[in-house]
Amino acid sequence: MNPEPFLQLDRLIHEKGRLAIMSMLAASPELTFTELRDALSMTDGNLTTHIKALQQEGYVSVAKSYQNNRPLTTCSLTAAGRKAFAEYINLLEQIVRQNKPK
Amino acid sequence: MEPKWAEENLQTIRTLMERSALYRRALAPVMLICGISGLAGGVAGWQWQLNSYLEFGFVWVATAIFALGCSTLFVRQQALKDSEPFWSPPTRRVTQALTPPFLIGAVMSGMMIFWGNDDLAKQLAILIWCLTFGCGIHAAGFFMPRGIRWFGWIFILAGFGLLAGLVAKNDLASLPCSPHLLMAAIFGGLHLAYGIYLYFTEKKTPVA
Repeated sequence: MNPEPFLQLDRLIHEKGRLAIMSMLAASPELTFTELRDALSMTDGNLTTHIKALQQEGYVSVAKSYQNNRPLTTCSLTAAGRKAFAEYINLLEQIVRQNKPK
Repeated sequence: MEPKWAEENLQTIRTLMERSALYRRALAPVMLICGISGLAGGVAGWQWQLNSYLEFGFVWVATAIFALGCSTLFVRQQALKDSEPFWSPPTRRVTQALTPPFLIGAVMSGMMIFWGNDDLAKQLAILIWCLTFGCGIHAAGFFMPRGIRWFGWIFILAGFGLLAGLVAKNDLASLPCSPHLLMAAIFGGLHLAYGIYLYFTEKKTPVA
């Protein structure tokens, strides 16, 4: 088996928690912090850490606002994040194709 | 490396993406209020003999507006409680899916009821409401939990059943019971039954 696609996988996205966040955000223009936390059953601290890591890499943008006097944090994928996620999926598909019995 | 690993990862991504696009507000209170409104509207129309085609139209337009208003309030309340925007992307998608069939139903039945001149208008209006409401719910079901599409199909089948019953009697203008009671049974009864089912089965916390 050619290990090349596996080695090319983006290590930042490959982590289970961050992959879940990227997957959720890829299907929606934006999601709130609470939506992500509840959907992925993560703790506030865990989700914050993952989002910060993705934000530092420029994959996720975070917007803070107020709604009815309550803070509202929304997250969305940046263009770079969308591109990295699409590349990650392509590599996974390549790995699956390689593993398919001929 | 485990050969199945990449495939499982892709499946997880697919599931998460589907979940992310789903409308997640609790539907039980919305279904219950729609059911109760439908039953109340039907009983009121029947009890007070509001049987002219205009009165029939007004009773059901008022019932629909009341149910829609209460549903919107419930959904807004849930969004506020969860510190989430009311007009979220899933809410937008569900509204977009509901709008065309609901609009067709409203315009067609409105024209028949307000410009019609006999009982046939009421029967056809019920038929159109069942079919277009069912189509709208089914379309919205692609962005909601799966059971809602079955709920849409029940309305479509109720519409076909009504049509078959009228054709079999060879008299499109006569119904076996008051049109108000029929509306109460179809719209009120079905919403109430589904609301009770959801009340006992729906997860209390919003899960995608």
